[in-house]
Amino acid sequence: MSMLQQGETPTVSDALPLDEEGAVEQQTRANRRFRVPGWLGILWENRKSRVGLVMLAIFLIVAVFAPLFSPHDPRSNDFAPNLDPGSGHLLGTTTKGEDIFSQLVYGARTSLIVGVVGGLLATAIALVIGLTAGYLGGTVNEVLTFFINLALVVPILPLIALLSAYAPGQGLWVVILIIGLTGWASGARLKKAQILTLRSRDYITAAVFAGEGLWQVIFREIMPNMISLVVVGFMGSAMGAIGAEAGLAFLGFGNPETISWGTMSYWANNQGALVTGQWAWLLAPGLALSFLIMALTLVNFGVDALGNPQLREE
Amino acid sequence: MSLLAVDQLDVTYLTRKRPPVQAVRGVSLTIGPGEFVGLVGESGSGKSTLGNATIRLLSRPGEITGGTVSFNGQDITALGEDRLRPMRWRDISTVFQSSMNSLNPVMPIEAQFRDAIQAHSRASNGQVRKRVAELLTMVDIDPSFMRFYPHELSGGMKQRVALALALALEPKFVLLDEPTTGLDVVVQRAILERLRVIQREQEFAVLLISHDLGSVLEFSDRVLVMYAGEIVEEQAAADMLRHPRHPYSRGLLGSYASPTAKTIAITYIPGRPPDLSKPHQGCLFAPRCVDAIPLCRMKAPELLPLGDGLVACHVAKMRAEAGQLPEQQGRSWRTQAAGAVFTKHTVAKDPTGAEDILRFEGVSKLYTRRRGFKTTLVQAVDDVSFVLSKGHVTALVGQSGSGKSTIAKLVTGIERPDSGEISFGDLRVDRLGRRGLRDFRKHIQMVFQDPYSALNPAHTVLSTLMRPLINHKGMSRGQAQSRALELLETVGLTPPERFGQRHPHQLSGGQRQRIVIARALAPEPAIIIADEPISSLDVSIRAEILELLDGLVREQGIAMLYITHDLLSARLLADDIIVLNEGKVVEAGRAEDVIANPQHAYTQLLLRSIPNPFVEETAAD
Ligand SMILES: Nc1ncnc2c1ncn2[C@@H]1O[C@H](COP(=O)(O)OP(=O)(O)OP(=O)(O)O)[C@@H](O)[C@H]1O
Ligand code: SF4
Ligand SMILES: [Mg+2]
Repeated sequence: MSMLQQGETPTVSDALPLDEEGAVEQQTRANRRFRVPGWLGILWENRKSRVGLVMLAIFLIVAVFAPLFSPHDPRSNDFAPNLDPGSGHLLGTTTKGEDIFSQLVYGARTSLIVGVVGGLLATAIALVIGLTAGYLGGTVNEVLTFFINLALVVPILPLIALLSAYAPGQGLWVVILIIGLTGWASGARLKKAQILTLRSRDYITAAVFAGEGLWQVIFREIMPNMISLVVVGFMGSAMGAIGAEAGLAFLGFGNPETISWGTMSYWANNQGALVTGQWAWLLAPGLALSFLIMALTLVNFGVDALGNPQLREE
Repeated sequence: MSLLAVDQLDVTYLTRKRPPVQAVRGVSLTIGPGEFVGLVGESGSGKSTLGNATIRLLSRPGEITGGTVSFNGQDITALGEDRLRPMRWRDISTVFQSSMNSLNPVMPIEAQFRDAIQAHSRASNGQVRKRVAELLTMVDIDPSFMRFYPHELSGGMKQRVALALALALEPKFVLLDEPTTGLDVVVQRAILERLRVIQREQEFAVLLISHDLGSVLEFSDRVLVMYAGEIVEEQAAADMLRHPRHPYSRGLLGSYASPTAKTIAITYIPGRPPDLSKPHQGCLFAPRCVDAIPLCRMKAPELLPLGDGLVACHVAKMRAEAGQLPEQQGRSWRTQAAGAVFTKHTVAKDPTGAEDILRFEGVSKLYTRRRGFKTTLVQAVDDVSFVLSKGHVTALVGQSGSGKSTIAKLVTGIERPDSGEISFGDLRVDRLGRRGLRDFRKHIQMVFQDPYSALNPAHTVLSTLMRPLINHKGMSRGQAQSRALELLETVGLTPPERFGQRHPHQLSGGQRQRIVIARALAPEPAIIIADEPISSLDVSIRAEILELLDGLVREQGIAMLYITHDLLSARLLADDIIVLNEGKVVEAGRAEDVIANPQHAYTQLLLRSIPNPFVEETAAD
């Protein structure tokens, strides 16, 4: 893990295996063979985030192979309604006669899609705005910073609710789009701050003298040193997107036909699961959501190490 | 009785990721009351670790893993923090290189002293103010500054305040860890001189840590030389200067010379310190030692009394036993010295023969600085003229803030002058547009001060070197790669294939600086601007980089602007010297003339400020 050896106290860093040519070569070769991204390695170091990563991997597997894990079609309502857990249906059935467990499994798919796509979208916007503001500086920076600050103070959830109420169409993708478009501000601010520090490095001036153009400087010289920050930003945005989708669906702003943990809770609530005593229906989607959020939070514990400027630069 | 006694001290850094590093191994030393002791060594030799361990300031993952430290007769090796706290500041205090930045930015100077003084005594506010005035006067700062906030003071003033703060409670022992490193030469000298006077008056003991053997020798009573976690030599400063016995001490001393001499030879120590996380056999210095004999690789030398000091070296011991006293060798150790030698003779070159590359004529630059509601004008460059010519080095010498970097920016076209002309052949650099500038950079390249920030940690050496070749020379990737390997060889990094695959963190400071130089050479520029290229390197390798630059400039006919505040290196490298003060040229001429016969008071001041342990000697010559 190359990044750990950088910039520590001189007393320690000079004791690197520099003379031992072989050691360095071996290390370089090993890096090439496995290609474990540096940030993943650092996260894995931390015990909490290792637990989080494992949990996340389980969710991912369930989501990808949902058809294998779910015993029934989540939309089929051929079963007897209001069955209790057990009885051939692990978590019982809904008032319409759908298998709750199958819905839960497919719900993971929805949540992860929302997280990944919404997170990517927000991260991409944050990156473009942060990079532009930070690197160009001057008036461009002032204008963009104004928008960043504006986006930071606007309450997000009501805005999303408002937008999705008026948005043309009702699909999940509309919700994702809205979430992505509203959740970039804090990420953009962080990235701008880091670029401001990276920009003053001599290697940026050196790149300009080496004949690099604006985009080459940004993508070749600056971006590789920001991977950690981008990963962190993505985690945050994904978490926000997942939560926002579930919240919207629960409040009835989503598309009620989508199968997600939010819509499941919405229907459970709507159909009086509380009254009929169908605890599994009521609790399962909420619990699943909490576990997913917990997984991401745990992963973020290891992010402290990534956030350390000495480790951040790979 | 000694004030501070360290016995067989071991300090280990225990990290989870890497094998433990034994940063200090079996070190014993004593410091008497009122004694001024210096500790020198290359970066990474364990100086700060040892210093911090002696006052129990080690931070994790560093740990004392053996031996004892006692202060004033009391064993403090395992003393709890609650028992140490009352001793700190009152008995033991410190100043670090970064101390000036650790002043509280939201508190005026006086309040910071008040907190410290009142935490340990019951002085009234009036008494405190009187004491602060006294302390500030002591470090040559006008007492009226006590109402100022730290950011309103210059770096040198802040460091003086940090020193006054450390001395506020009249401690018995002060640890100074690189207290003036990074400051201007003139300021460095002023602070150290003042410190020595105060120390004599108040009779506190000092351990001065520095990588700069020159200034340590000048100010200390006794000097300890550290290498790879061990003390390898200990002598009174005067003896060390006259006859250093350990080859490593000789190597360090070899990097000093009097700039006024006719022929200057400075040495460097090739190679680098060993990896302290690996087991070793024999003398740790052996791989770099010119005197090494087979015994050295088998048996580690012990630190034994030799003459009036202590030395850990088989060969030095054998020589002493054979009655070969270093005194008898006279000054010859300096020429037969340890390691490689970079010699510069005073040869009268014909300055008229060289072809002019760049003309800088009557250039001025005014900056407007806004602070709060006040706007101040700074005349950064004031009517400066000079010429850079082929195969010649022109040194631009001056204190920080004298306008050196601004001139570099003007020459490279990053800034535009308010008046005057900068011409490169027929090209007017001061009128270049965006596109023109990009083309101009084929012809002008830079070598930076800090090799740690000049190389992108994300790229390998090879890909860093290939970029300018692809961009400026229009080479294909394959061509660029083979040319990059040639460049590595040119700057002395062999085998090039091996270095090409490395990332910057796998290289030492000197090797990084060689890469930076190789990158500057890539587009075959006509001009290279080197902005303090050696000042952030260890003294032991500075000569090595100077030698490389010198060779390249002469062989490839490059015009170089060498920016520095160090007159010795200017003398070594440059043909012409321009002395700059507050944006104005105060003196200019052939290097040896300017040094031998400084006309301007400011040049004389700069010359006096060079740490030169050999002043008396040269005066006697
Ligand atoms: N961009 C700027 N805006 C305002 N003032 C500036 C700017 N750049 C330089 N100055 C001022 O111009 C003067 C000369 O600065 P310059 O950086 O060129 O000095 P220097 O000799 O290179 O210093 P150092 O050795 O510390 O690098 C200083 O007083 C500095 O504060
Ligand atoms: S013991 Fe041998 S290798 Fe070590 S410094 Fe002395 S001569 Fe050199
Ligand atoms: Mg400068």
